Amino acid sequence: MSELESGEGKPNLTPILDMVFQLITFFMLVINFKSAALDLNLKLPVVGSARPVDTKGQESLLILNVDSQGDINVYGRKQPVKEYIAREAMAALIGAKRSQPDLEFGQELPTMVVIRADRTTPFKALNRVIMECQQNGFIRFALKAINREEKG
Amino acid sequence: MSRRRKRRSGEEVELNLAAMLDMAFQLLTFFILTFKPAPVEGQINLRLPPPVGITRAGGSDAGTDFNAKEPPKGLTTLVISAFSQRDGSLAQLAVGETPVGTLSALDNRLQTVFADKSTPFDQVIIYVGPELRYDELMRVIEVCTRQRLPDGSRLSKLSFVEMPSGG
Repeated sequence: MSELESGEGKPNLTPILDMVFQLITFFMLVINFKSAALDLNLKLPVVGSARPVDTKGQESLLILNVDSQGDINVYGRKQPVKEYIAREAMAALIGAKRSQPDLEFGQELPTMVVIRADRTTPFKALNRVIMECQQNGFIRFALKAINREEKG
Repeated sequence: MSRRRKRRSGEEVELNLAAMLDMAFQLLTFFILTFKPAPVEGQINLRLPPPVGITRAGGSDAGTDFNAKEPPKGLTTLVISAFSQRDGSLAQLAVGETPVGTLSALDNRLQTVFADKSTPFDQVIIYVGPELRYDELMRVIEVCTRQRLPDGSRLSKLSFVEMPSGG
């Protein structure tokens, strides 16, 4: 008597399990925890010559999400501009001292400030953030933009 | 011992895959729900040092050295002005005191300025209207960073100065 005739047919789960594991592997590989630091509600300006730059993780970055009011959003929470940048500058200085022990407060920090500002942010609000960074030793900046308007 | 031997020889050991499949589906559901592809973003890299006073040279202000007979040598500064309208759009551009109407005119003017190798600039300052929107500013920065310096490198060192309100 075959399995079908006896009514005890069991589906072969091995192929479906294989497929599911392949899908899991795919999602595990493409998941990017760094994107959690990005405020995806911001509408970045469109600049044709802006190109993605891959630092291959060798450069320390300070990502600042600046909304249209000039506030800094960190993981969805607003932070006071002055205190937040001063705190990050101190952390960057401590980190940089490992490779450059002579580095003092006020000198140029090797950290690059990545500014992701909303396209409607007025310059006076943005300049407040930039000046605060400069006063704390950040000189290197990356201004984020998108190459072309996203659909939708 | 004998029982184990019997089972090995007679029965087939079957793994219960259903439990593993349940777990795998849960993991898959988690990854699908949390999957949010990061947008492809470009960037313009700049060095933005604070602006330095144009009548200051060698760390001394004008008139501080009593014995100096020569007037203080100022830093060679290229000043670009971007005036804003109330709604944040770009109203007017100027290079030095020469108004330029459009961004392409600014591009042409800057190319002419930087082509002159006899006057290398120590700094480039952009005076920006306080209400100018970030997207408008980026258009100006894009034109500036397109310029080639006399040494062949691209202009990547700028300083920003905010105009007084109403500018």
